[in-house]
Amino acid sequence: MKRARVSDLAIIVESFFQAAVAGILVGCIYGLMCCGLSLIFGIMRVINFAQGEFLMLGMYFAFYLVTGFGLVAFLGPIYGPFLAALLAGPVLFVFGYLLHQYLVGRVTGVNVIGAEAEGHYAQLILTLGLSLVLANGGLILFGSVPQVIRTPLSSTAWLIGPLLGDYVEIFINQARAYSALVSILVAVGLFQFMARSSLGKSLLAAADNPEAASYMGIDVDRAHRLAFAIGTGITAVAGGLVATYYPFQPYVGIDFVIIMYAGVVLGGIGSVAGAFLGGFVIGVVQQVSTMVLPIQLQNTAIFVVFLIVVMFRPHGLFGRSAERT
Amino acid sequence: MPTRRRLLQGAATAALSIALTLTLSPEAARAQANDILLTLIAPLSGGWARQGDLMKKGADLAVEDINAAGGVKLPGGNAKIRLIVADAGDTAEKAKNAAQRVLADNPNLTGGTGAWLSSFTLAITEVTERADVPWLTLSFADTITGRGFKNVFQTSATAGAMAGMTLDMVLELAKSATGETPKKSGFLADNTAAPTGFLKPLRDELLKAKGIEVVVDEIFTPPLADATPPVQRVRSTRPDMLFVYPTATPDVKAVLEKLKEFNLDRGRLPLIGNGAQFGTPEILNLVGKDLLEGFMFTIANWGVKGQEELINRFKQKTGEPWMTQDSISTYADMLVFKMAIEKAGSADKMKVAQALREIDTTDGVAKLYAGGRLKFDDKGRRVGASLYTIQWQGGEPKAVFPPTAAQAQPIWPKR
Repeated sequence: MKRARVSDLAIIVESFFQAAVAGILVGCIYGLMCCGLSLIFGIMRVINFAQGEFLMLGMYFAFYLVTGFGLVAFLGPIYGPFLAALLAGPVLFVFGYLLHQYLVGRVTGVNVIGAEAEGHYAQLILTLGLSLVLANGGLILFGSVPQVIRTPLSSTAWLIGPLLGDYVEIFINQARAYSALVSILVAVGLFQFMARSSLGKSLLAAADNPEAASYMGIDVDRAHRLAFAIGTGITAVAGGLVATYYPFQPYVGIDFVIIMYAGVVLGGIGSVAGAFLGGFVIGVVQQVSTMVLPIQLQNTAIFVVFLIVVMFRPHGLFGRSAERT
Repeated sequence: MPTRRRLLQGAATAALSIALTLTLSPEAARAQANDILLTLIAPLSGGWARQGDLMKKGADLAVEDINAAGGVKLPGGNAKIRLIVADAGDTAEKAKNAAQRVLADNPNLTGGTGAWLSSFTLAITEVTERADVPWLTLSFADTITGRGFKNVFQTSATAGAMAGMTLDMVLELAKSATGETPKKSGFLADNTAAPTGFLKPLRDELLKAKGIEVVVDEIFTPPLADATPPVQRVRSTRPDMLFVYPTATPDVKAVLEKLKEFNLDRGRLPLIGNGAQFGTPEILNLVGKDLLEGFMFTIANWGVKGQEELINRFKQKTGEPWMTQDSISTYADMLVFKMAIEKAGSADKMKVAQALREIDTTDGVAKLYAGGRLKFDDKGRRVGASLYTIQWQGGEPKAVFPPTAAQAQPIWPKR
């Protein structure tokens, strides 16, 4: 009888830790995705419908780098896919830079000072169109067959335990663990860049108040272009990491874009670190909520938590309550 | 000496003349007018685009075969089939819009087939039924032919019927391999129409009637961000067999990988699925041969023993490694329409629908459907519709049941 009770308790403990570990790992990757969007939406205030497609392009770039250039064969199944994910960043940075220069820049920054709704209507239409073009262009270019960066890590785990006698064992998926680690490193690098470098500070200033920033000698257009490009690159790195365990096709962006927006708003609009935390919280809530709710409701749980946070902290966990100058 | 402008004018006039001749050629125009119009509405964009691609490949081959053999025999002379392909997209609304467009653009449409996902088929047939267009479908949901429609013909067994057949097959296999039947079972599925329809009778009555307890019942909304929570529950409850029914490829991969990660793969837990998503060629590439080994799934149709000539031709033409239910069903559907049009002696949609209601054969194209009989009951369900059991063996999905269609012997994993 006592053994049965211990066993029941152990199952609960094991399930909790297992869900928490899964949530932490997924949360770190969501966090990085949210950082990318935070630069574009949270700081520049561009409502970007194409964010999911930037993620998709990152996935395909990493995939072709691995399959076309044999990075796995060259560097092995651990370093190959993760290096490919990191390399997707600079390439999509250039893509984002050009995209902003020739398209998005026309409806943001100094071009829309004094325009109706600060150019948001034009941004909505433009990025929605861009999203459709990229997804359908991807279908023509890459085809409809789902792809994934094959690595044995995606089905192997480190085992912690047995704990509590012989009852509890915790599995940590290796692909997700490495992805989470890379996400944290990239996010920390981004925080440092934004907080400490003069370029990072000028990006924040140009986003906060383009007019005032231009009086201070900051090239606002260039700053916006760089922020957009960095946001695109960061999202692409997250895409490359997700591609190591999640099959994707050109329409994969829609699976993640709502989570990205929820994370940015939850963390606090205007804060890159807050966006990471917002994504992280979403990952943890999504997984741990299954302890008490049916799995079908795990995404509902995210939005219940989201509403509660927004009710008590309308500016998100790390958002600034003061109006922008 | 002709000037450059004259040369350009001449070239433009010649090109225009050729274009007009081709467009307005009486023979070409007559041939176009005499063509029999059939449509395939399938997802060609969005998350199910690959399934639509496989359906199109099967239908294209059939139309090519029919037309190469002289077309459809009609009293006024033979007619070719022209296939109109429309994209059902990724929502039921888009699928319905596609059906409305096809019908509006082609008032002479004779019939159609599609659209893979039951919820798409439900939406499309709301449109086609009002226009009296006969519709063939492989979609499983019971509701497709449970609404009193007269022109919808379901070539697959319904999801509810499949559940009973799958359970009987599983228990028979388990008993012959281990000498006993499983006592505990579990479900790990998504909440879309087909899994819901398939699992409901198992959960409500079929398993209870066999004395089998359901110890884990995990239903999720796709896409699954991480399969840890549901697989953890499977691990805690230890069923003797697990019905696995995610419909989206990423979820199939996530579940199978998590089962391996938790040491529940390869014989430790017999896995039974249902549906085409477990047998698509790309699943091998995405999941890998080792993870799939031994995985069993039941399916409404498949390229099986006795169809080698067709399968080989399909493989050669399309480069696909095998013929899935999506391709063989649309191939067969085109042949069924040919048969019905010839029987009706007309491409008129209502006469063709009537002919479909009257067909009763076990020959020819009937052999391309599981169960081998082509007759529809008053609801539009195919009489004697059965299923095939496919098992991954050595990196290939092979038909293992029923014995008449089997390409390999079934293997029931032993603990």
